[in-house]
Amino acid sequence: MAPHATTTTVPDCKNIPHSHRLPVTHREVVRTLGKLSRLSLISLAQQWLMKKNRDFCPPYLLADQDPNDVDVEDQYDPAHSCDELLETYKVLGARKGGKREVLDRILEGDWRTGISMYQLATAEIQHLLDHPTALRWTAKRLAKIPNSRSAVHDMEVTNDSDHLPRFQAQTFMANLARELTPLMKAHYLLMRLKTMPITILRVYIHDSPYSTEQSLATETSSSDGAKAVFFIWPNGSPFVYSSLATHLGQVVGDDGRHLRDIVQQAIPKAFSRPSARYQLASTNFTARSLDALLTYRGPGKSNGAAGGFSIFQDHSFSQNALDFITSQKTDDAEKSGAGGEKAGPGRPKRALDDAEAPEAKRRREVAEGRFGTSAKPNDGQGLDRFEVRIDDPFPPIPNSAARADGDTSDLNAQPANRSRRGRPSLLDRSAAEIEEIQDRADEAWVPDVRVTFQGPHVFAGIRQLVEQGVVDGEKMPGWMTGEAGVTIGAVKNGRIRTKDRVPGV
Amino acid sequence: MEALDCEINDIHARIADLRAQRANLSAILLSQPHLPTRLSQRPVANERRRLHAAKLAKTQHNRNLENVYRACAGITAYKVKDPDPHAIDNGMILGVRIDVSIRDEFVETYHVLFVRPSAKNKSLLRIHKHTIPPCVALQPLANLWLPTRARDGEGAVEQNLVKFGRALRKELVSWHLRGAAVEKLRAAAGVTGTKDREEQKAGLAQGRVLNAFVSDDEDSEDEEEAAVRRNGPLKITAVDADISFRELSLLWSNGQTAIMKVTKDGDIEMAAVRTEQGARLSSVERKAKGRIEGLLERLAA
Repeated sequence: MAPHATTTTVPDCKNIPHSHRLPVTHREVVRTLGKLSRLSLISLAQQWLMKKNRDFCPPYLLADQDPNDVDVEDQYDPAHSCDELLETYKVLGARKGGKREVLDRILEGDWRTGISMYQLATAEIQHLLDHPTALRWTAKRLAKIPNSRSAVHDMEVTNDSDHLPRFQAQTFMANLARELTPLMKAHYLLMRLKTMPITILRVYIHDSPYSTEQSLATETSSSDGAKAVFFIWPNGSPFVYSSLATHLGQVVGDDGRHLRDIVQQAIPKAFSRPSARYQLASTNFTARSLDALLTYRGPGKSNGAAGGFSIFQDHSFSQNALDFITSQKTDDAEKSGAGGEKAGPGRPKRALDDAEAPEAKRRREVAEGRFGTSAKPNDGQGLDRFEVRIDDPFPPIPNSAARADGDTSDLNAQPANRSRRGRPSLLDRSAAEIEEIQDRADEAWVPDVRVTFQGPHVFAGIRQLVEQGVVDGEKMPGWMTGEAGVTIGAVKNGRIRTKDRVPGV
Repeated sequence: MEALDCEINDIHARIADLRAQRANLSAILLSQPHLPTRLSQRPVANERRRLHAAKLAKTQHNRNLENVYRACAGITAYKVKDPDPHAIDNGMILGVRIDVSIRDEFVETYHVLFVRPSAKNKSLLRIHKHTIPPCVALQPLANLWLPTRARDGEGAVEQNLVKFGRALRKELVSWHLRGAAVEKLRAAAGVTGTKDREEQKAGLAQGRVLNAFVSDDEDSEDEEEAAVRRNGPLKITAVDADISFRELSLLWSNGQTAIMKVTKDGDIEMAAVRTEQGARLSSVERKAKGRIEGLLERLAA
């Protein structure tokens, strides 16, 4: 860059490079690094100092020190080389201490001249890996836009046909930048993770016509919204998860949403090729936990077999075809059954449980049958929010059952009072309101009932309710086991409405 | 204390071994061909025990029969019941099970569960649940062989469950075979990924940054190290493949890279090989075409 670039800044069409730095007092820097634990900070610093990354995050070394301006009060002496610093952080990592010590060393010592965009991005990804439930993700599917000319071709399954969008990092980045740079300046970091089968894209949005370091540093104090957006591609699947990188308690403003939408709209365009255009289709799935996302919208076997159908994912339904041993299995089942009871939530009330042991055992077996191997409290696949709207006719109340039964039997094959008893916990909240207007009920009265479940692990909670006998496990509708694999849906005829396509692909 | 722990672990391992042995022996015993007849004919002291034994023999017999069918046919069907009180068609579900065997073992079992959504046309099936990974083309196959509604116009797709099953099994088996071939290739090339593993052990690297273009010829690498790497014997340092094993990327010690497109039955169809400076190596590209299995031999030739 020309030396006079600092004086004349012109709007341009460039991305923000990895090496541009933010001052250490910048709000984003303080917030992002402040969230990390001591261990993560040390590991990050070591990562930044590795040879291949040094270009993007040069530390402040003795050679950088201005000899005329040696500050005696300086708390941290600049190191001689990167390797020396690497050693320093190794020593820091080996001993115990507070997080503050490392944070101060990074911000006021070794990177006092600024934290580069690369460092900020890796720090935020590190936080995401440390706290996989920190953000709220929406899963979308990259779907091919049907085209009359290629429709026949798309149907084919040949030796070299490809039904998933191909992900080429370089091409994708170039396309995405081409879509976005006229609208905004942004810093991109695309990373293939080692610990999880996913690829993360972080877009740091810089709402300014300039891409210089100076313009980055000036805080646009007007909005406090999130400045970064995350996208995740689970490897080998057509899904994309998107999320705003919010800090704890930060409100997602309209600005933030708008910026995310712009990036989101650019993503299918960046994937598209001539004669293969993609769009993002909703999959009705939002969750906090990345593990849950990978289970319900991931690359594995579990997408199309959630809830009670989880038994088909592993060998609990059908053993290996060469496994002829029948006795071992029963032994195991007894053992795990006993273990489950011991570790179960009912343990504190053992005396009570013992009294009604056969009943409790039966309920546990019913729950086992309905939920299969899913919805275990500690499986890490918890959905935090599950919403349904019930579009079924309201079940008739008992005293008018004779009249209503005759009327609704053709609408709904199930006896109406059965479905009522099956969902007590669902309807009890709005029952009061509904009973106020019950006298106006005619045979196909469909009130707008919406039910929301919230908690750290919604379906594990329902499973526990079944085991405790609060919810009748046998009459409970299937969507309460999570087998529909959505977090928002409408219930019709006791089932979540689905489109006429294969689930989970 | 440690010795005691060690001993306890040993004993646990022995117990597990003996248990497995007992289970194996009991399976063999229960599989005796004339066992049920003998059980029913000979007089016994305890009638309940006899019934129990007959039940066990029956279970074993069923299992043996099921396994023989599964192992020989590859695709088997079964019926299950959905416990959901609101399930379509009263919870009647037709399951199709596909067992995939690679070399000498069955590596994975996949299920596709069908329901009959339409009360009028009882023979019409729809995929209800399945455990097919998304990198296998289930939706296009379903479009081909399983129409969602009975259309009576011309050009209507006819439902053909057998063809669907065959095509799906072919996709699944070829996916596993490609995976096994790539694994073999890795082993043959001696790619262990030592550097990555070291980094991982140290817990340093989060992952590989894909849009970081570091200029290699600058001081990012020690001169001598680079020289050793360049002048040393030419070998493959990394073999990467995507999850569906349709794209293979190779990296050589001299900085040469290759990306290869693999067809579903394991042929390398196209290859792009470039030197570190970015020049195409069309001679190597031509050599690369062919089966995955012989790739190294072809490249070395």
